[in-house]
Amino acid sequence: MRIFRLELKRVLKSRLTWILLVLALLFSALLAYLPTTYCYSNYIDEAGNKINLTGLASIAYEKERQADASGIVTPEQVREAVEIYQACLTSYGVAESYDLPEGVYEKEILPIAPLLHGVKEAFADPDTGMAPTIMEIDPKQIDDYYSVCETRIASLMAMEQPNSPAAQRKAVEMYQGVEKPFEVYPGMSSTITDYQNIMGFLVLLFCVVIAAPVFSAGYQSGADDILRCTRYGRVKLGIAKLLAALFISGLSFIICASVFILVVDSLFGWECTKTSIQMLYSIVTLADMNIGELQCLFAVAGLLSVLASVSFTLFLSAKCKSTVASLASALVFCIAPLVITMTVPGALSTWLCSILPASGTSIQASVLYAITDFQFLNLGGLAIWTPYAMIGACVIEIPLFAFLAVRSYCKHTVK
Amino acid sequence: MELLIDHVSKRFKDKKAVNDINLELTPGVWGLLGANGAGKTTLMRMIAGIMQPTSGQVVYDGIPIQTLGEQYRDIFGYLPQEFGFFQEFTVKDYLAYVAALKGLPQRQSWRKIHELLERVSLLDVCNKKISTLSGGMRRRVGIAQALLNDPEVLILDEPTGGLDPGERVRFRNLLSEFAHDRIVLISTHIVPDVEYIATCHAIIKGGKLLATGTTEELVKLVEGRVWSCTISADAVPEYESRLQIISLRNEHDGSVFIRYLAEKPCNAHSVAAAPRLEDLYLWLFPESSGESDRRYH
Repeated sequence: MRIFRLELKRVLKSRLTWILLVLALLFSALLAYLPTTYCYSNYIDEAGNKINLTGLASIAYEKERQADASGIVTPEQVREAVEIYQACLTSYGVAESYDLPEGVYEKEILPIAPLLHGVKEAFADPDTGMAPTIMEIDPKQIDDYYSVCETRIASLMAMEQPNSPAAQRKAVEMYQGVEKPFEVYPGMSSTITDYQNIMGFLVLLFCVVIAAPVFSAGYQSGADDILRCTRYGRVKLGIAKLLAALFISGLSFIICASVFILVVDSLFGWECTKTSIQMLYSIVTLADMNIGELQCLFAVAGLLSVLASVSFTLFLSAKCKSTVASLASALVFCIAPLVITMTVPGALSTWLCSILPASGTSIQASVLYAITDFQFLNLGGLAIWTPYAMIGACVIEIPLFAFLAVRSYCKHTVK
Repeated sequence: MELLIDHVSKRFKDKKAVNDINLELTPGVWGLLGANGAGKTTLMRMIAGIMQPTSGQVVYDGIPIQTLGEQYRDIFGYLPQEFGFFQEFTVKDYLAYVAALKGLPQRQSWRKIHELLERVSLLDVCNKKISTLSGGMRRRVGIAQALLNDPEVLILDEPTGGLDPGERVRFRNLLSEFAHDRIVLISTHIVPDVEYIATCHAIIKGGKLLATGTTEELVKLVEGRVWSCTISADAVPEYESRLQIISLRNEHDGSVFIRYLAEKPCNAHSVAAAPRLEDLYLWLFPESSGESDRRYH
């Protein structure tokens, strides 16, 4: 414990560590605020003037206008919303809402817009996946809205995973387990979780930069030659260094994620967190959770990913002779999921992105996108939903790379 | 108490840095003498257990140090040639860190740190970052950390590098007091640093052990090979080209007093001089005085 405390003190005495930790905290607050700046709405006031609203004012305005749509999403409400939509567009002789005269959308469609989310997707063609326009949907079919959604997930999975009956079966089972009817509380958009992803990735990078020199700096400066000649200078020091780096990384991620969630939910409204994720992402999203639960699960997955990445970085640090080598190789692995997503095709990409330690909170390949996607890892007759695989991989990697890091440190000899 | 270097060799690719060294270290100060590149640091690293020998082993009281592990490190103190430290450490924090790693109880460690800082005259800079200290001060921090656990085996690789003459004297005195009933091995190519405090010396060259013994025993190897004479100033260049001159002193009458190494006197005026350890060193390592290697086989 004393060695751990002293090692913690040593790492925290570094100016670079403090700069990175403060930056991480500032970025968390800033990234939580930024989505509000993209909110924009306008309306025509009684005097006929066009009023533009941005930021928090826009959020408050839309919430007020959509207040009647908030709460449980019943098939009756969805049907009524579709009928209002169709009647409005018919009365103006247009086929799409963006052809409506100025001010009409805000007045007639905006209040029911949250209920219309996912309707087109639910009625997509089972063979081609093409979604109809709302005008093409027969409102009577909406009376059995959630059954339509369950039929849609089956046809979607048949298209997404044609060679994996296990994945298709698993997806249908998962979707049947999703609590229905859904709930919607207007105000939030999926941008907030995208920003949570960016926040997580930045904290991950900062933690990796802090962890990369933990062992290699000692090798490079020669400080390690003295330390490893002391009584506790091998296993115990190795463990203390590892725990200190994991502690700093874990704690800083928890603080940053908490700050982000607190700020974002306070700005957009805590009631929005009760919105079912199906009302923000795909209507057939497989996970049974609301936005608040998604934020928390993503934070936990991000934490595990940061710890796994730091553990892996420490392993690299214990193997590399210089800080530049350990930092460069660790950063390559941090951005690897992003590069793999863009360059490697098919199942190999899914597999690699599911097992790399940084995948949990990487840009474009994080648990967030895995939760809102329909990817499965197929192993024989077994289909594993990729978010489970990502979280499971991190849970295995944390102790595995921690062990390998300490082992490599203990076995290190001067060349 | 005995530290046995049992036929230890170390090969780096095609170069044998240490070649079958067999040496039994008993309590006392040992001087490990050798020119740069002789294999001193490699040998010390193997004694410290941070480098694996290609063959042979280091044995402490009959047990290989790899088997002893923590037990060996508990009684061991080491100052490498390059004293590495983490930039963020102050002197006090660094010593507290090393003391914890050496297993000193917290209260005892502060007392010990204070005592050692006083001994190495660093008390007034104890709260300064090591990176801001001069080379000599850093070296003294390195010496202090090596002594923290009162080691039974103390290995110091070029400990006096960067120390001024006063600091060297204080260091020698500190070691002489400390070395009672302990094995202290000091590597150096600065012979006076160990000449008067070392009980025994081991001389290595090209990775091989050339000789071991006390100062008195070793200087006998150059008995009858150290000469002195007075020559005219004009003759100095000629003598320099012919002889390995150890020292040169201008006299008031314009002549020059020279001390040199040779198998036999170079002129009739030369008289045999009392040999010193440095003479032996220069005899064995003629390249150190600018001469080519021509003596030892």
